[in-house]
Amino acid sequence: MNYKKIEIKEGISVHEIETEQFKTNLLALFITVPLKKENVTKEALIPAVLRRGTSKHKTLEEISKKLEEMYGASFNCGIEKTGDNHVIKVYLETINDAFLPEKENLLKDAIDTLLEIILEPLVENNEFKKEYVESEKSNLKTIIEGKKDNKAQYALEKCIEEMYKDEPYGLYKYGSIEELEKINSKELYEYYQELIKKCKIDIFVSGKDIENAKNIIQENENIKKLQPRKKDYIIDSSKKTNMDEQIKTIEENMELTQGKLVLGLDIVDGKEEEKYTALIYNAILGGTANSKLFQNVREKASLAYTAGSSYLRQKNNIFIKCGIEIKNYEKALQIIKEQLETMKNGDFSEDDIQNAKSIMISTIKAIPDEQDTGITYYFGQEFSHEMVEFEEYINRVNKVNKEDIVKLANKIKINTIYFLK
Amino acid sequence: MQIIENSKVKEKLYLEKLDNGLTIMVIPKPNTLKKYIIWGTNFGSIDNKFIPQEENEIVEVPDGVAHFLEHKMFEQSNGTNSLDTLTSLGVEANAYTTVDHTAYLFEATQNFDEALDEFMNYVQNPYFTDENVEKEKGIIAQEINMYDDEASWQVYMNALKLMYKNLPINIDIAGSVESISKITKEVLYKAYNTFYSLENMALVVCGDFKPEEIIEKIKSKITKQKVNGQIKRIEVEEPENIVEKEKIIQMPVSIPMFAIGFKDKLEKEEIVKKHIALEIILYMLIGKSSELYQQLYKNGTLISQPELDYEFSRGYAHILISGQSKNPQEVVKGLKTQIQKYKECGLNEQDFIRVKKKIYGDYVSEYNEVGNIARMFLADYFKGINSFEYLEQYNQVTLEYANKLLNQVFNEDKMIVSIVEGK
Repeated sequence: MNYKKIEIKEGISVHEIETEQFKTNLLALFITVPLKKENVTKEALIPAVLRRGTSKHKTLEEISKKLEEMYGASFNCGIEKTGDNHVIKVYLETINDAFLPEKENLLKDAIDTLLEIILEPLVENNEFKKEYVESEKSNLKTIIEGKKDNKAQYALEKCIEEMYKDEPYGLYKYGSIEELEKINSKELYEYYQELIKKCKIDIFVSGKDIENAKNIIQENENIKKLQPRKKDYIIDSSKKTNMDEQIKTIEENMELTQGKLVLGLDIVDGKEEEKYTALIYNAILGGTANSKLFQNVREKASLAYTAGSSYLRQKNNIFIKCGIEIKNYEKALQIIKEQLETMKNGDFSEDDIQNAKSIMISTIKAIPDEQDTGITYYFGQEFSHEMVEFEEYINRVNKVNKEDIVKLANKIKINTIYFLK
Repeated sequence: MQIIENSKVKEKLYLEKLDNGLTIMVIPKPNTLKKYIIWGTNFGSIDNKFIPQEENEIVEVPDGVAHFLEHKMFEQSNGTNSLDTLTSLGVEANAYTTVDHTAYLFEATQNFDEALDEFMNYVQNPYFTDENVEKEKGIIAQEINMYDDEASWQVYMNALKLMYKNLPINIDIAGSVESISKITKEVLYKAYNTFYSLENMALVVCGDFKPEEIIEKIKSKITKQKVNGQIKRIEVEEPENIVEKEKIIQMPVSIPMFAIGFKDKLEKEEIVKKHIALEIILYMLIGKSSELYQQLYKNGTLISQPELDYEFSRGYAHILISGQSKNPQEVVKGLKTQIQKYKECGLNEQDFIRVKKKIYGDYVSEYNEVGNIARMFLADYFKGINSFEYLEQYNQVTLEYANKLLNQVFNEDKMIVSIVEGK
């Protein structure tokens, strides 16, 4: 696997990931902008409107047919929070030319189609087509209202909202119904134009024989029209916390058989280089089947089927998540708190550290074998002050020692306890 | 050893049936670092009534045994847990149970050989005690509770219950809190000794392997003995008709969920060809570019394309169209009209050719990731299919054949509707 980043214009980069092992080429286009309350809903709506029609393929039906003709190219778009940034993500996956039944140049067609959908929308009277905007507003409303349908995800979202009240990261990635109702097609189109003019744009091409990709992109008419820009986005989004903050406890009622318990943890005075320590800390605490949470909440106490934790690198937070019987809330919480204490006391072995490292390193080594993860890894590097290649990443994981982990453990405190029952 | 090559995806399958009865499949992927191994047994939640080899009495086990057994396989007699041991080696280990099979697997970028030792050992050596069986009941009860709160699972299970009267596909894979309370170590051993015979199992590896070498290595780690005789599964008489047309339940969801099913008859011949054709028909009916989807999307009835599936295995086959909609009855109505229309006028040829191209792309992209490839070959194997057949028989699917199938399978008297509404 070979990675190359080329800035084709200031603020616009092409990332080539040359790789042999896939049957497909995967294209991705990311538009990055700082999270702002007044804009998030518009940013969630824009990709939905874009995929409804372009100046050449005016309806969803025409776009769908075009993609099907390309051996079922799959087009996906979505919106994610990456630290304090909001990222519009658009993907197009096609079969690599080598595996087509007839000789065709699908790569060029795929790149041009992706850029057409994003940069050449259907515009009527200098605004997005009204019908599309209204219809997508209604769909987005359904999505926002559907937030509570996935209980585990909902519990996590709510915990994050509590932890980041009145801060950008506390915003829901799909925005709010209140903001949604204010949007009209003219204003939305104006905002879209501003995004395309000013924002950081990253285009990824992953696949076999893609050496032409950069030229195809540079010669694309829609790309030629774009101006260089001073990209405005947030690189380090780590949460700032004080040791003396009070723990917030929130309980919410919903008719459930199983309660969802989420604990949001802060790392007080976290430093960039400690992120590798936090990764190992999390693996020992709740990241694997060997972890303290899995062993004690699930295997020993039989309180849960799901019990574990995850580390959110961009914000430097750890989230503990368990699905438990509602009546076992106190019992589970007690066990979780005990595990946090054992971490502070250094009550884990060198073997535990080695195992944790080994799992983390294995995850990194597997990246070249997963086409989308490769893109996510390199895009993630854009939000760090330095580019860390796989090898260096592995070195840094290997350098973490017990002293570092115990030191970090003593800087970790519970910010929010959220229980959905 | 049999070598089967597919020129479309440019992959090879090495297939060997060992003298002890075990089938091994190797799909080499020379460029990848990730190695994947999966060992499955042809035993799932539907196999709850059987006569073990070399016995005469019918055994009936509590619902959820196959899944319970899967959870307990990791326990070792020396007090260790193989999931922990494998995790310590830095490999990702897991297991799952479906309607028709159970599978154990791990994925490694390092320590493959060490992990293989542990893996081969634990699948062949169960260790159940009263205590460790009892302890698992709390964990599995929480797994069942988790699914009880998932509307998508409820809508799916209700769809199966509407279609099947007797076949145990209508029970939850994990069983119920009540049924698992009856599971004992004796029950688990009985199920293990019956279904985990080498003859009833298959092992698939995918990654940077030399086929002969890895097959030899696996062979050398087999300690189980060949068992004579066949497992007799007690076949349940299942009527061709559905049980009931519709079931609507209420749960706390913001937007209703639906599953529309068509009960079908399992065919022994040409099942792959039929599967391909049905995928094309389903996509033409309500896929992204279809007239019906466009209409339902425009009026806000659908916000995304429903999932389209043809599920089949021992004794059953059905179509499922499932998704979310503010007005599921509108989807049902539209679907009925569209089916009627296609039956009268025939499927449109241009659309057929285009959708067929799309399906081709879908099949090719299945070969991207080692885990996906191995799981696919295993699941298909237990259905009597070699996964390459989908690419090979693709060309045989004609418009005429699709039209014939449309008339055979999509009948209103075999159609069911399962809905979960908001509270």
